[in-house]
Amino acid sequence: MPEPGEQCPACGRRVRSGTQFCPGCGHTLVATSGPDPSPVAARTPQGKRFAQHWEELKRVFWVFGLLLASSFVFGIASRAARMPWMDVAEAAVDAIIVLVALALRFRKLAFLFQLRPIALRESAVMVGISFLFVVLASAYFWTIEHAGVPMGSTTGALREAGWPTWAIFLIVSVTPAIIEELAFRGVIQSSLERVFNARDAWLIQAALFSVLHLSPLVFPSHFLMGLCFGYMRRRSRSIYPGMLLHGCWNALVVLEELPG
Amino acid sequence: MDKTWEVDDANTVKAHFGGLGKKVVTVNGNEVHNSRKTVSAKRPIVFSLPDGRGGAIALRPSFMGAPSVDLRVDGHLMVETGKAPIKCAACDTVAKPYDRFCGKCGKPMPSAEDYELRKNVKSATGAIKVLAVLFVIAGIAFFFLTKLQADAALAQLDGMDAAAAYPVPIDGHSYTVGELRKQIAWGPWGVLIVNLILAVIMLALSLWARRSALPAVMIATATYVVVLVADGIADPRTLTQGWIVKIIIIAFLIKGIKAALALRTARA
Repeated sequence: MPEPGEQCPACGRRVRSGTQFCPGCGHTLVATSGPDPSPVAARTPQGKRFAQHWEELKRVFWVFGLLLASSFVFGIASRAARMPWMDVAEAAVDAIIVLVALALRFRKLAFLFQLRPIALRESAVMVGISFLFVVLASAYFWTIEHAGVPMGSTTGALREAGWPTWAIFLIVSVTPAIIEELAFRGVIQSSLERVFNARDAWLIQAALFSVLHLSPLVFPSHFLMGLCFGYMRRRSRSIYPGMLLHGCWNALVVLEELPG
Repeated sequence: MDKTWEVDDANTVKAHFGGLGKKVVTVNGNEVHNSRKTVSAKRPIVFSLPDGRGGAIALRPSFMGAPSVDLRVDGHLMVETGKAPIKCAACDTVAKPYDRFCGKCGKPMPSAEDYELRKNVKSATGAIKVLAVLFVIAGIAFFFLTKLQADAALAQLDGMDAAAAYPVPIDGHSYTVGELRKQIAWGPWGVLIVNLILAVIMLALSLWARRSALPAVMIATATYVVVLVADGIADPRTLTQGWIVKIIIIAFLIKGIKAALALRTARA
């Protein structure tokens, strides 16, 4: 052990008695067999990595923010005049936002769109997750409906306006499934995976997906949806399984609401 | 306001900010500056340490509360000596503010910039807790407010047949009296439950923030902004109510996001 007033052999700094590592440069002062902790300040320059990660987070904020702004604008507009074509307009605007974000990032996201053969075991896992999801989500909505909670329905509004069934399916089932999957499991989850580990990215995109639906009543169900679809994307490295399940779930909802 | 910086074994700088703008700076007990001139980032208090190194104390205006006081020695930001001793996060040994590595285990100590970033992250976590409390208060307050309105509305529907259609369409929909009664009765409870759910979410996020600040603060920010937007759609007047507080909360949250990201990327 160095005596008080002794110097660190690496940086020449005066060290206090009883010190085992130099507080100035981290050099080992005691004769031990362990390796030196890296003698230089062990941090890489934070500027570049921060900038890269901040760019990814900004992409997430932009996509989320623009979709939220669209919800806001159309929400206010439909207070003035509730017209079904506004749902079409909103879907169109959301589609443009998401497709532009996707196009700007397509090179890094192309892997999600590759069609790959899927093993039987993997298919079974996907089917199992789908089944579990449908059971849990149905249970949740059944519970809140039977608790007397009034729930709105886009299907109802479109049906009242006399829209054909195929158009209702397109607006309520197919388009949201595609666009939301491209946005959340496509752009957002992929960007988040460049900043966080896969698990945190998965949780964050599920949380963002759930809150974007505005009503806290559906936060739990849509968080579950985000988790399931996100897990399917993580496991399969493909956008398609989640998109398929999402579309089927939305179609189930429409089928359930159609007879009225 | 008094600030102390132990710059190294042999040098301690103290700054005293007194009444009427008085500023006194001492180095090892010797006064090096005493005036009432304004101090800012562009016009710092400049002095020399006994070993010839240059010192500069600057005031940085803070978004809320007292301004931050920075001491730089030869351009390097110094860690302030606080009331509690600084400890190594890895082995809990007490260390000096100017130590860059722990003397006991050799692990790097946080830099002055790191402490600043941690402060911002702590403020953001604090903002999340404030939101949790606000949602509880709002839930209870709006429950009673909405209940008064609901009771008044239900009184109007008294004596009407539940199956009869209510003559006036609401928001473009026509309801039966029974459906309307159900919606009105649910109103106050809906408000209370929604706000309590949000309070629980914020509480859970503040707990997650202790372990992993960045994801928690990001989700809290997104949730809060969504709540403001949803309230704005339901009643556009709410957009301007309390806008100052809302802006302050969002600013703290966004600062927390940047600081948490900076801390993460510094630990590379």
